[in-house]
Amino acid sequence: MKQNNKIKTITLIGILLLFISVILSITYGAKSVGLSDVIDALLGRNLEDYNVNVVQARLPRTLFGIIAGASLSISGVLMQSITRNPIADPSILGVNTGASLFIVFGISFFNIQSKLSYIGLAFVGALLTSIFVYRLASLGYSGATPIKLAISGAAISTALSSLISIIVMPDSSVMTSFRFWQIGSIGGTSTDDILLLLPFTVLAIVVSFLLSDNLDTMLLSEETAIALGLNIGRTRILAALCGVLLCACTTALAGPISFIGLMIPHLIRSSIGSSHKPLIILSGIYGGAILIISDVLGRILGAPGELESGIMTALIGAPVFIYIIRKAKLQSL
Amino acid sequence: MIKNEIIFHGIEKRQKHYYIAIFIMFIILAILVCLNVTIGEKNYTLAEVVSIILNGENNYIIMKLRLPRTIAGIFCGIAFAIAGNTFQTLLGNPLASPDIIGVSSGSTVAAVFCILFLNLNRGIVSIISVAAGLLAAFTIYKLSCKNGFSNSRLILTGIGAQAFFTALINWMVMRAAEYDVPTAMRWMAGNLNGITTDTLPLLVIVVILAFAIMVYCNQSIRSLELGERYATILGVNVSVVRTLLMFCSVVLIAFATSISGPIASIAFLSGPIATRICSNNQTNYTSSALIGAILVIAGDFIGQNLLPTRYPVGIVTGLLGAPYLVYLLIRQNKGGVI
Amino acid sequence: MKAHSLKAENLVAGYGDDIILNSVNMKIPENKISVILGSNGSGKSTMLKTFCRLLAPKSGSILLDDKSINCIRSKDIAKSIGLLPQDSIAPAGISVAELVARGRFPYRKFMAPLTKEDYIAIEEAMEAMNICMLADKSVDELSGGQRQRVFIALALAQQTDILFLDEPTTYLDIAYQIEILDLLKDLNKKKKTTIVMVLHDINLSSKYADYIFAMKNGHLIKEGEPADIITPETIREIYGLESVVVTDPVSNSPMIIPISSHDEISGVS
Repeated sequence: MKQNNKIKTITLIGILLLFISVILSITYGAKSVGLSDVIDALLGRNLEDYNVNVVQARLPRTLFGIIAGASLSISGVLMQSITRNPIADPSILGVNTGASLFIVFGISFFNIQSKLSYIGLAFVGALLTSIFVYRLASLGYSGATPIKLAISGAAISTALSSLISIIVMPDSSVMTSFRFWQIGSIGGTSTDDILLLLPFTVLAIVVSFLLSDNLDTMLLSEETAIALGLNIGRTRILAALCGVLLCACTTALAGPISFIGLMIPHLIRSSIGSSHKPLIILSGIYGGAILIISDVLGRILGAPGELESGIMTALIGAPVFIYIIRKAKLQSL
Repeated sequence: MIKNEIIFHGIEKRQKHYYIAIFIMFIILAILVCLNVTIGEKNYTLAEVVSIILNGENNYIIMKLRLPRTIAGIFCGIAFAIAGNTFQTLLGNPLASPDIIGVSSGSTVAAVFCILFLNLNRGIVSIISVAAGLLAAFTIYKLSCKNGFSNSRLILTGIGAQAFFTALINWMVMRAAEYDVPTAMRWMAGNLNGITTDTLPLLVIVVILAFAIMVYCNQSIRSLELGERYATILGVNVSVVRTLLMFCSVVLIAFATSISGPIASIAFLSGPIATRICSNNQTNYTSSALIGAILVIAGDFIGQNLLPTRYPVGIVTGLLGAPYLVYLLIRQNKGGVI
Repeated sequence: MKAHSLKAENLVAGYGDDIILNSVNMKIPENKISVILGSNGSGKSTMLKTFCRLLAPKSGSILLDDKSINCIRSKDIAKSIGLLPQDSIAPAGISVAELVARGRFPYRKFMAPLTKEDYIAIEEAMEAMNICMLADKSVDELSGGQRQRVFIALALAQQTDILFLDEPTTYLDIAYQIEILDLLKDLNKKKKTTIVMVLHDINLSSKYADYIFAMKNGHLIKEGEPADIITPETIREIYGLESVVVTDPVSNSPMIIPISSHDEISGVS
C-alpha cells in the first residue's frame, strides 16, 4: 500500500505542477496579465478588454503544449518498453530527423501545404526511420544495447540531415520556413492544430493504456512473456505504432522537440517503478507540465523575444541524459 | 635465422601493396588539385596556372581564390582525417568520430558565437574555437569518468553533449540578425568559400606539427588498437599517449572547423576507407591523411562544378558519407565490435 | 638466461574506494608454473592486474629484480613481463602474423621497419603455439582455441621470461584446454619461462602447476606445491566446499571430488 500512497502523492504533485505551469504560461510573457483577466477570459466576460484577448491568444499554445508534452513523454515510455532500452527516445532514435526529411521532401517536391498531410508524411518518415535504426542496432549477437542504439541513431541522423540540407539549400524560401520548423516550438500553434492533433493522440494514448498490462509482461524476458501466453508480436507492433504516431503528430506540427520522451519517463520510473498504468498517466501529466515550463522558461531567458521550447528542452534534457549515462552501470551500456 | 619464410609473405605482400596504394592516392590528389585550380567559371591551362604561380603574377582568380581554396581544402581534409582516425582508434569504435561525439560541435558553438555576435576576424575565431573545442573535449571526458574511464560511456556522453551544443547553435542562429543567417548556415554546412590567404600559414603549420607528433606516436597507437591493457603490457605509457593524441586531434578539429566549418563525414570516413584501400589493417596517418585531402578536394570540385546549383563541400561529402555510414553500421553491428 | 625475480610486498589494491587486496606478500617462483586459486571475488584477478601494472597499488610495491616497477622504464618492463588478458580484441581484419608482430612493440625503434630479430621472434612464437599455417588468415575467422593460441603467441613474441595468463582456458572445451596448457608446459620446459596463471579448474591446476597460491578475501592464505595445497581442509577454507581428494591415476597429482549434500559418504579416503 505504501507504493499506492506514493503514486497518489506524485500524482497530486504532478497535477499541481501542471496547474501552476498553465497559469504561468497564460499570465507570463511579453505582456503580463493578471489572474482576474484569465478568469474573465475563461468565463467569456469583458471580451473587448486587451488583456483578456492576450489570454485567449495564449490559451491554444498552452493547451497544445500539454498535449505535445504528454504525447512525447508517453511515446518515450512506449519506445523504452518495446526496446527494453532506457535511452530509447524519439530524438535519440533519429525519428525526428526522419520525420523532418519526409516533410521537407513533401514541401519542396510536391508543394504540400496542409497540416494533415504533414502529419501523414511525418508519421511515415518517423516509422521508417525508427524501424530502420532499431533493426540496424539489433544486428549482431548482443542485440540493441544502449550504445549501439545511440550510435545508430546519431549516425542515421547525421546521414539524414545531409539529405535534408541537399534539398533545402538551393531554395531560400524553403530554407527559411524549414529553419523555423526545424527548431521545435509550440509558439506558433493555433486552435485548429489542437483539433487536428487531438483525435490521433487520444486514440494512441487510449490504446497504449489498454496495452499496459501486456507491456508490463513484456518487461520480463521475451521467453517468459511467451510462456505467460502473451502475443509479443502484436503487442510490440501496436505499441510501436502508438509511440511513433504520438511523436510524429507532435513533430509534424511543432517541429522536433527533443529529450522530453527521455527524461520524463526516466524520472517517473525511478520514483514509482515500471508498472505501466501509472507510468503512462504520470508521464503524460509531467510531460505536459515540463514542456509548458520549458516554454515559459524560454520566454524568460529569451526576453525580449523568446527561446523556442525545442531548444529549451534540449538544454535541460541533454544534461539529464548525461546524468542517466553516468548513473547507469557499465555492463548495461 | 628465419627458417619458415612463408609465414611472412603475407606481411611483405601487404607492405608492397601499401606503398603502391599510397603512390596512387598521391597521383589522384595531384590530378584533383590540377583540376581544381584550372577549371571553374574561367578555365586556364595547367601551363598558365604554373607560370602565374611561379612568376607571382597578380592574377586574382588563381592567387586569391583558387589557390588558397585548394590549399585550405587539402589541409582541412588532412586535419579532419587524422583527428577522426585518432578518435576512432583510441575509442576503439569506427563510429566514434569527433563529429558524432560532440567535440566538433563544441568548437562550432564558439565559432558561430564569434561570427554572429562579435564579428571577429577568422584568426581570432580560430583560436577561440580551439580553446572551446579543448574545453568541450575535456568536459565530456571528465563527465564520462566515474570509477575510471570507459569508452562506451564517453561515446554516450558525447552524443548527449552533441545534442546540447546543437541546441545552443540553433539558439544563436535563431537570435542572429536575418542577413547573417545564410552565412552562418553555409558555414555550418562546411564550406571553402571565402578562405583568405592570411589564415593559411597558421593552418599549415598547425597541421604539419600535429601530423608529426601523431606519426611519432604511430607505433603506440597500433598497440592501443589492441585495447588499453595490451598497450600497457607492451610498454606504452597509455595515459600520456592518449592525452597527447587527444589534445592534438582536438586542436586539429577545432582549427580546421574554424576555417572551413564542419565538413561532414571526412573525420569518420577517411580512416576506414584508408584501411580498406591499403588492406594492411593498420592505423596509418599517411594514408588516411591522403584520403581526407582527396575527399575534400573532390567534394569541393563536384559541389562547385558538376551540380546544377553550387553546393558547399560539406553537403557533398555528407551525401557521399551517408551510404557508407550505413554500411559501416551494418558491418560493425554484425561483427559485434562493441 | 638469468631469470628475473618478481614479488609483491605489502600490496594493497582495489577499485575506487573498495579495497580488494589487503597487504599481500607474494613471491613468484622462478622458472616454474604457478597457479593462483581462489573463489570468485577473492582478488586473484586483481593480483594479476597489479603485477602487470594494469592497476596501480594503493600502497606497497611490486619489485622486479628488487627494483620497484615504478622506477623502471615502461618499455623495459614490457621486455620482462607479459600478460594474456581474459578477453582480447583484435583490430577488424588483421592477419595472424601481423597481430603477433604487434607484440614486438617494446623492441621497435621509431619509424623503423621490422628487424631480423623481430622476424625471428615472431616466427619462434608462432611455431611454439603451432600456428604457422594460420599466418595469413584473418583473426576474425579463427576458432576460439586458435584465437587464444594467437594471443599467447603475441605475448611470446614479446620475449618476456615472465608470462601471466588470466584464465587462459575460459570458453574453451576440454580438448582445447588441455592443448593450451600443454603448450604452456612445453614453453616452461624449453625456455624456462616463468608462468603465472589464474585458473578456475582445481584439478587442471594441480595437474599442471608446480606451485599454487590460494587466495581468499584479498589475502594470500596458503602457498606451496599442489600436494600440500590440494587437501580437503584447504579446499574447505578457500571455497567452503566439502570434498574428497584422490590421486589422479595418470599423473599422480591430487584431484578433488566435490561432495554434494545428496551424496552418501562411504569411506573413500
